[in-house]
Amino acid sequence: MSVACLSCKAGYRMDDLGENTTVFSTLRSFNNFLSEGSAPLPRSSEPSSTSRMLQLQYEQMIQAEEQAEYVRSHSRIIEVEREKQKMEVSHKRARIELEKAAQTSSWNYEREADRNLELITQVKHMQEKEAEVVAKLKDQIDVNKSLKEDLGLQSKKLQDKEEKHAETNQMIDVLKSKISEQQRKQMNQEMQLTTLSTERQELLEQVEVQRKKWQEAVQRSQVLEAAQVVIAEKEQRLKDLENKITQQEQDSVIVKNMRSDLARIPELEKELRQLKEKNAYCKEMEDNNSLLKEEMESLRKKLQRLEKVKEEKVTLELEKEKLLAKLQSWENVEQTSGLNIRSPEDLSREIVLLQQRELVLKQQNSSVTTSARMLEKTRQQLQDEVLKLRTQLLSEQKKREQQEANARRMEKRNILLIKARDGMKGILDSYDNELVTNYSPQLNRRAREAEDMAQELHAHISELELEAELSVLQSQLAITDRSITNEEGNVLRQKIEELEAERSRLDQANKVLEMKLERYTLQGDYDPTKTKVLHFSMNPWSLAKEHRITEEKSLKEECEHLRERVQILEGGAVPEQGGSQTNLPPSQEIAEMRKQVNSAELKNQRLKEVFQKKIQEFRAVCYTLTGYKIDVTTENQYKLSSMYAEHQDDYLMFKATNSLGAKMQLLESDFSNSLTELINLHLHHQNSIPAFLSAITLDLFSRQTCA
Amino acid sequence: MAGKVAAREQITLRGSASIVSEFFSYGINSILYQRGIYPPESFTREQKYGLTMLVTTDPILNNYLKNVVGQLKDWLCNHFVQRLVVVINSIETNEVLERWQFDIECDKTMTENSQPREKSEKAIQDEIRSVIRQITATVTFLPLLDAACSFDLLIYTDKDLEVPEKWEESGPQFINNSEEVRLRSFTTTIHKVNSMVAYKKIDSF
Repeated sequence: MSVACLSCKAGYRMDDLGENTTVFSTLRSFNNFLSEGSAPLPRSSEPSSTSRMLQLQYEQMIQAEEQAEYVRSHSRIIEVEREKQKMEVSHKRARIELEKAAQTSSWNYEREADRNLELITQVKHMQEKEAEVVAKLKDQIDVNKSLKEDLGLQSKKLQDKEEKHAETNQMIDVLKSKISEQQRKQMNQEMQLTTLSTERQELLEQVEVQRKKWQEAVQRSQVLEAAQVVIAEKEQRLKDLENKITQQEQDSVIVKNMRSDLARIPELEKELRQLKEKNAYCKEMEDNNSLLKEEMESLRKKLQRLEKVKEEKVTLELEKEKLLAKLQSWENVEQTSGLNIRSPEDLSREIVLLQQRELVLKQQNSSVTTSARMLEKTRQQLQDEVLKLRTQLLSEQKKREQQEANARRMEKRNILLIKARDGMKGILDSYDNELVTNYSPQLNRRAREAEDMAQELHAHISELELEAELSVLQSQLAITDRSITNEEGNVLRQKIEELEAERSRLDQANKVLEMKLERYTLQGDYDPTKTKVLHFSMNPWSLAKEHRITEEKSLKEECEHLRERVQILEGGAVPEQGGSQTNLPPSQEIAEMRKQVNSAELKNQRLKEVFQKKIQEFRAVCYTLTGYKIDVTTENQYKLSSMYAEHQDDYLMFKATNSLGAKMQLLESDFSNSLTELINLHLHHQNSIPAFLSAITLDLFSRQTCA
Repeated sequence: MAGKVAAREQITLRGSASIVSEFFSYGINSILYQRGIYPPESFTREQKYGLTMLVTTDPILNNYLKNVVGQLKDWLCNHFVQRLVVVINSIETNEVLERWQFDIECDKTMTENSQPREKSEKAIQDEIRSVIRQITATVTFLPLLDAACSFDLLIYTDKDLEVPEKWEESGPQFINNSEEVRLRSFTTTIHKVNSMVAYKKIDSF
């Protein structure tokens, strides 16, 4: 519509311009006509015609203008009608287009609505799918997490395994290295063994050689020892002889000395006499000497004394000179001091005077010092008083300030109270003014309440004043209390120290008890009032105990059974009398065993009989064939008695030196003593026992047949 | 158990009781294996707490342990248990040779309906692992058990607890002349387990 309107307006403008140009063109043509029409008129009359011309022109112009305006309006109307038609046309067009557009838009709208629905359903589907996907994602994430955890666990396991592998590998390496080292060591040791074995062999050979040498040495040593013994004896003899020789030499020397001494005696006597004379002379000389010495000593002492005296004299002379100088100086004092001094007495007098003056001055000095001290004391007292007064001043100033503050507070409260009272009064007055008598009881009540309030406030104020005074007093007391409670403080401090000592003791005792408790809980102690100990009835320990007891019982029963069986077996002749079922099965075994035993015994007996028979047969055969009966008397000793022996006691004893009996020796017996010739011949020379025995047999046989 | 699996960082009273009783089950098996109370071939391997734990296959023993540990778990939920003791004694001489004592401190304010506590399962497992490793390591200094030995489980409970059917009261089975060693402890923030071992001192000549 707006486009149509715009086009209409543009068309209108264009038309308007065109119509304007037509209007202007008509105006111009009209004006030209008027000007042509009016052209001749202005030439005729110039001055007055000009005005008439002008008026005419003016009127023409006005008419023209009116016509122009009429034309213009007419044209405008036409234009407007044209525009209106155009507008209507355009309106219709626009309406049609609008309807079309509306239809299309409605179709579009429907289509889009359908599309929207579809899209919405799609969106819902998508959302559902998204939700599912999200859920799946979460599941997958959880699965992933679990997998990761598993992975982590497995990786840890792997790491542990790998570590273990590494450790085992290290162990293996270590062991391999150890094995190689061991093998090396073994090789070394084998080498060492071989070397050592060779060395050992060498050493053994050396040992043998040494042994041989040692044996030789032993022999030599034995020989040497024998020789040494002989030598020792000879040496002893030598020593004895030498001793004798020395003694003899000493005796000879003594004898010689004696001879020389004897020769010297007369000379010695002469010398004696001379010496005695000299001795007497010397004694005299000695006495003189001693006297002289004494004199000399005395003289020396005198000398020393005199020397000392000299020295003293010298010192005394010096002192004397000094004293003389002093005296002169003392004597000069008089001249120097200007006093009337000529002798020491004067001096002493002067001294006494001076001392007296000194005493007086000292007294004055002491008095002055005491006065000075007194003044100082008074000065200090005054200073203390000044300090006290200053503190009092300060405290009183503070009190004053406090009281001024209190007073201000009181005044303020007063003012407030006055204001309140005024207010209340005002209220009361207002009530009085406004209302008459109906409200008087209420007003009275209120007045009473206000009075009560005022009284309470007064009481409150007085209390506060009291409290303020109390606080001031308390502060004063506190200052004084501090001085009083020093003693109490000391007492309290002592108490505190005692208590702290007790506390430390108790702490230590507590610690000890806690340690004991800890130990007991470790050992399994418990409080019987709060805990009890339970265990399962069928526990392994009781089961093991019962098992043990049953085992023991069964073992004991078995033991008893076995003992009974053993007794029964040992009884032997009456096996069946037991009557217990356990004996019946073993009795068969016992019977078999007995049969076996009997058969074995029978066999033994038969063997013995057979052996005896055989032995007897053999011995009889030997006797008949060899002619000797051989008996074994004791171990290794055999007694032979011949068939043809003349007496029963004629027997020969042989002893076996060899265990096999290969070598025999003949022992002495009565019969053998009678056979010395045969022994010598057959045993010593021929070394044949059978020949000897056969010779004896022949000999006895011949004797028997002959006799 | 469902609550423990759903949120691994939170421990309820029931969950804590099950953790502690499981620890005791494996710990007692470990002690029986280490001390040679039962022959080593009667034990089988299982993975638990990140370690290879040895568990018995003897059916009578397993049945006994199940009974005791089940009752213990029930009592743990009600805060009746104060201590569990494994007593090892010689069958012949009937005297106590070793005493493995586990003190249980429980937070009495925790009930079935209380808010679960925050502690990660991994941290509890690490603590339990260190306790089990320490039990294994104590074998180095404990004296050798020569004779045939047997064991018993004692539970210290509150005095007024009703004694169940198959249980009975017993003595505390102290060791006279003992050495005690304190071992590590672990806690689930609801139950705290302190372990210690007491053994009979060897008389030296």
